[in-house]
This record gives sequence, C-alpha cells and structure tokens, in this order.
Amino acid sequence: MAFVFASFALLLLNDQPLLMLGYLLATHAVLRTAGIPWSRIGWLWRRMWAVSLTILLLWPLFYAVGEPVLIEWWRIRVTLPSLLEGLTSALRVDALAFAVFVLLVSTDQTRLVQGLVKLGLPFEWGLSIAIALRYLPLLDGTYQTITDAQRARGWSPERSTLFERARAYVPTLVALVIAALRLSDSLTRALAARGFRPGHPRTSRRPLHMQRGDWFALAVSVVLLATAILLRYVEL
Amino acid sequence: MADAALELLNCSYHYPGGVRALEGVTCLVERGSWTALVGQNGSGKSTLAKLCNGLLRPQEGQVRVMGDPVGDRSVGDMARHVGYLFQNPDHQLFASTVRDEIKFGLRNLGFAPADREERLREALTAFGLDAYVDHPPAVLGFGLRRQVTLASLFALRPPVLILDEPTTGLDWGRATLVLERLRALQLRGHTIVFITHQMALVADWADRVLVLHRGQLLADGHPGSIFARTDVMEQASLAPPPITELAQRLSHIGLPSDATNVDALLRSYIALLPQAEEEAS
Amino acid sequence: MTTIVSINDLTYAYPPVEPEADPAPVLQGVSLSLERGACLVLLGPTGAGKSTLCLSLNGTIPHLLGGTFSGSVSIAGLDTLGTKPGELSHAVGLVFQDPESQLFTMSVADEVAFGPEGLALPSHEIEERVQESLATLGIAHLCERSPLELSGGEQQRVALAAALALRPQVLVLDEPTASLDPLGKRSVLEAIKQLRDQMGMTILWVTQDIDAVPHLADRVAVLVDGRIVLEGVPSHVLQQRNSLERWGLRAPQILDLAARFNEHWGTNYAWLTVDKAQQALEQRMTERRG
Repeated sequence: MAFVFASFALLLLNDQPLLMLGYLLATHAVLRTAGIPWSRIGWLWRRMWAVSLTILLLWPLFYAVGEPVLIEWWRIRVTLPSLLEGLTSALRVDALAFAVFVLLVSTDQTRLVQGLVKLGLPFEWGLSIAIALRYLPLLDGTYQTITDAQRARGWSPERSTLFERARAYVPTLVALVIAALRLSDSLTRALAARGFRPGHPRTSRRPLHMQRGDWFALAVSVVLLATAILLRYVEL
Repeated sequence: MADAALELLNCSYHYPGGVRALEGVTCLVERGSWTALVGQNGSGKSTLAKLCNGLLRPQEGQVRVMGDPVGDRSVGDMARHVGYLFQNPDHQLFASTVRDEIKFGLRNLGFAPADREERLREALTAFGLDAYVDHPPAVLGFGLRRQVTLASLFALRPPVLILDEPTTGLDWGRATLVLERLRALQLRGHTIVFITHQMALVADWADRVLVLHRGQLLADGHPGSIFARTDVMEQASLAPPPITELAQRLSHIGLPSDATNVDALLRSYIALLPQAEEEAS
Repeated sequence: MTTIVSINDLTYAYPPVEPEADPAPVLQGVSLSLERGACLVLLGPTGAGKSTLCLSLNGTIPHLLGGTFSGSVSIAGLDTLGTKPGELSHAVGLVFQDPESQLFTMSVADEVAFGPEGLALPSHEIEERVQESLATLGIAHLCERSPLELSGGEQQRVALAAALALRPQVLVLDEPTASLDPLGKRSVLEAIKQLRDQMGMTILWVTQDIDAVPHLADRVAVLVDGRIVLEGVPSHVLQQRNSLERWGLRAPQILDLAARFNEHWGTNYAWLTVDKAQQALEQRMTERRG
C-alpha cells in the first residue's frame, strides 16, 4: 500500500523519462520474479498502448516549446523537448498503471480491502469494492448467457450503421442491468442474514499486523519517496 | 436419416480453458419424440444442447438438424429450426410488457404482423398470461417469469425445442401445466429435448432418456429400462424415483423393476397377489 | 417441549411499487409455532408467500424491506418488530436457494468468519467458531478454497456453516436444494439431517423436493395464498392427495402409494421411507402366498 503511494509520489513529482523507463523495467522485473506470465503483463499493455500512443503523439502537437525544432509543417511544430515531455507523460501513465498492477497482483482481495480500511476507508466502502471484484466474473458470464439467449430468439445485432448496432444491444443491456439489480437484492438479504450492521465496529479473523516484510516494504517506500523529493529539488 | 430431428455424430467439445465437456458423443433424436437429458452438473448436458443450435461448435464431429448439417449457420438463423430455453428466465427478460417480450422473437424471425398477433394470442392463452399482457415481466413472480419465457419460445413454434430445466423452481401444479403444453406441441409434431434433474418427471413424460457422465454418453433408452440399470445410474450418480427404487427392491418377489409411477407399481403388485386375495377385496 | 418460534396472526404486504397502489397482503393471518429441536417443513405453490415468511423470521421483514406488518413473530423470546435485525441474526440463521448470490467473499474461511466479525469478537474466537462450523458441516478441508471453485452441494454447505457461525437457535432454509444437481441435493439433505439429529437444531425448511420431506420432517405445514391451510404430522398432511393437488402440490411417491393401498385394502399404512414400504409389501406378499 505504502509502496504504491510512494511510487505515485515519485512518478508524479518527476519529469525524467529515464526514471519512468527505469521504473517500468523495475516493475516488470518484480512481476516476472513473482511468476506472473508474460500473457498477463501483455494484458495490461494491450489496454495501455492506445492511451500511451495517443499521449505521445498529441503532446508535442499541443505543447510545442523549446529548441530544437524537428518538424515544421504549416501550423504544426514538433520540438524535441516537447516530444520528450510527451514520452515522459506516456511512460508515467504506464508506470503508474503498472504500480497499481503490482499491488493488485500481489495482494489478495481481503488484504486489499483491509489495507484500505486501515487507512481510513469506511468498511462498507471496502466491502462494496471487494464484492464488486468478486462478482465481476459472474456478471461477465451473465452477459454472455444473455447474449446467447437473445441470439437463440433470432437476435442478430450485426447492423449497417453504428447507431443501429448500438440500438440493437438495448435488450441485452437492459436484461443485464435487471440481472445485476436482482443480484444486488439477493446480496443485501444475504448480508442482512449474516448480521451485517453498517457503522458497527467489526473485528477481523486475520487482523492486519505489520510483519517484517511489511516493515521492509515501508522502508523501501520511504527511501523512494525521499529520493523523489530530493531529485525534484536537486533539479531545481 | 429422414426422421431424425437432431443427430450428433462423434461430437467432441472442449471449452477455451481446456475443459473437455463432450467426448465422442453420437446420438439421434427422432422427430416428434420427447427426449430427456440427464446427468450431474458438468456432465455435458448443456454443452450437448448448445451444439444443436450453433451456440457452440464442436471441435470434432458433426451436428445435423432436420437432416441438414449445422455447419456455420448463425445462431439467429438456427433459431427458426431449434428453439432454446435457458435455465434462468432472468437471463433474457428485458421488455416493458409481456406483449413486447413475446413479440421480440417474432420480430427477429420476420413474421408478418397478422401472424405475430395470432401467435402472441395463442402463446398468452397457452401459458395463462392473458391477464398479464401489459405488465413488465421483470416485476412478476418467478413462476410467471418462467411462463413468459416459455410463451416467448412457444410463439416461435420451432420444430425442435430444447429446454434447460424449465420446471426447476416451479411447484408441481405449474410444472404440470408446462409439461402438458409441451406434450400438446409434441402431439403436433414438434420434437422436445428436456434437460432436468427430476427423475420422476423423466419417468412420467419422456419417451427416451440420454444419460451423460463426464462428457460421455453412458446410456440411451427408455426411462424404465435405464432406471433399472443400477450400474449406469450409480456411475452417473443418479437415483431413480423412489417408486422405481421400491420396485427394484421388490423384484425378488416378481415385481417388474421398471415401474415408474405409483399406479404402475400398484397394478403390478395386485397382479402378483394370489387370486383369492383379489376376489376377497 | 419449548416453543422457540411463535408466529401469531402475521399479516404482511410489501411496499407498493406505485405510490398510490394498495398491494394485496402476501401473508394473511399466518399463525405457526415451532418446538425446539423440531424440523418443520413448509410447503406451498410458487408465490404462496413462503420466502416472505422466511424473511419475516430474521427481521428483514419488516425492518429492511418496509411494508405493512401486523401480528407478531417471536424467536427465542425476541420480538422481531421490536428487535434490530442485527441482533436477530444471533437467533435466526437464514440460508437461501442460490449459492452464488449468498457467498460473497473469496475464501470459505472468510465467508464463515463474516458473521462473527460483525459481532466484534476477538479474532481467536472467530477462528474457533469458523473451525467449529466447518467441522460440523464436514468441510474443514475446504477452508482456504474459494467458494467460486466449489460444487453446488459444497457451496450450500458453506452457506450453512456461515449461518451456523453465529450460533443461531433456529435455522431457516429457503429452498436450499432447488438449484442443485442430484449429488448436491443429497449432500445438503444429509447435512440437514445431521444438523437436526446430532446438533438438535431447530429447523424451518421450505422446499419443493417433496420426496425428501418424509425422511426429515417432524411436522409439515402448507401455505397457500398467504394462509396456512393445513398443518400436522407428515403422514397425515402428505396423504391428503386431493387437497394437495388442488393446491398445486403432489404427495411423495411412497406415501402416495400407501394412501392408494389404504383405499384399495382398507389398511392404515403411512410409509415414510422406501425401506418401510418394502418391508410391508414383502410381508403382505409372503402372508398371502404362504
């Protein structure tokens, strides 16, 4: 947890593209050591590349500053510094994503929620997040079944225009929303049946205690944070 | 074969994750028959059913519907020939009225407006939904929601109907109503394929039963004879209805072990009693 | 014999969907009582109000769902109207039909611990209760598994263990076997039997699985359109073939056979199990032949 916050601080307070790159390499090293397969790492990259590329391309176009000028064409000016800034921003976004990824991958759901609650998040919010995570696969499966069921009634959403296509999806989406509402109804009853009282103090079967590993991680985070601040001020 | 409604030829299917759901299954469902598909969860019942309307495509083998291979026809196209009722009615209901819900399928398959009205009327009456035609399906009770999805399928009148546990969660009275409607369709020439866990139901309504276990077809035959096969039933972890179990236990006194309902057992028992007993009562 | 559950003239209507509407009551003047250690089976057609009655026993009705409530429900001396649902959950455990939507954590142990955690018990006591409940249901080996990976029967056992962890006096089971395959059903029925026989748990069990009822029920009640229309011992209630049919229910096959036998021969049989029927029919045949 602390690791993530420190990382955020480091990444947000800094402007060095090499730092971002270094951070990315470090997180990849950590993930690989933990045995995360490339396919899962690739999963995140597939979601990130479009965003990163967009930032990289658009940044220089909007913030052309400094020298040397690389391209000048009509009203578009691309300068090296702004290209580098664009690269930094893109890499920063990627690095941030991977920092969170490392956190999610290394922490089990319960611990994650406990950590958040320890930091002051109300338990109810933590529970909502935990439940949402737990039910995501189910809702995905439900959506699959719903589309199957509608297809079996002759539904074919393949349409000429995008608009018509979107409209064709309404029955499926409505059914999904209704299913989700029913699920939340059942969950409320189940929680009530287990004596859930929002606002009441709760204990935990596995209380979150600081262990040696945690102290180490905390130490590393503090060092990272200190480095971040130092770098910033040394720059200036 | 001309009178096969569904034909599976050595079909195998495994899910993307690697789970082998069906292994080399070959079976034939005759036109106008009522076939029950039984087996534990995970035995491949739903997988087999979904191969029949294109929801799943076998990695090996071929599926034929009414003599023609399914090939790569879309599910939407297949809907004309094979109707599929999903287990959970809440996985398809979306419309603001029962009327619109039933008309959804009719519109998709391109029926003419007059035709649609007639089919709607018939479906509503068949499933006792006349009073609810303008209600939103989602707020009706579970039994009624189930009846709405059945009515939606009924209106399409596909030659083959595959139903995944249509009576689960219904009381006996409603379940019987549903079964009677399906029987009426069968008598009009439709083919019924019925997935269920309720053996008593299989005994009373099905012409044939297919027993699945771990993706393989263990047995294929008349319910009475299949229930009598204790080896098959045990392997598939299924139990015959209590009356059949009783009949099996009384086989040593001469009772035929394939009695599937109370009447049958009673009659067999009376027939076995010495004549004097019968005249006395 | 102590009465542990006492429902008196309970009438309840859900809050109206439209503001002006006056919805019909789902429960009308229901009166029912349950003795400690007994297993009462509640039968009825779909929509009779059985689930509503279950929710009235743990305070979800009226506290969580609102609506118009009259009459009284008392569990182990606690009046549901006057007691907060959180406190009632010590007295009443409720298990629902669908395993997926009542198991909401990522590990069996966490699931069973959820109730005790809400009671703010010290963590060693929570752990004790978790192990105890899992052992009672025979699923200690599933402790660290995720509920998502389990079979239907195992999942419902987890749900039962989670309810037991609160040490309730009464267990209310709302069609716990309806979504399960035959193996799963058998597993849960065994668990229910064990809870009744070995733990002396008081159980209110709603089910459509009529053939399983004679083995486990001490008493049977039938709810139709929000009213209790029949109540008594299984052998009596479940042989009322004509009434049951009228209400959309059927008799268990073996008891039905006994009833027909009685009609034919003027006997007084009430076989609750296949064993009993087998013995009686064999004996009769031997007598007649011999």
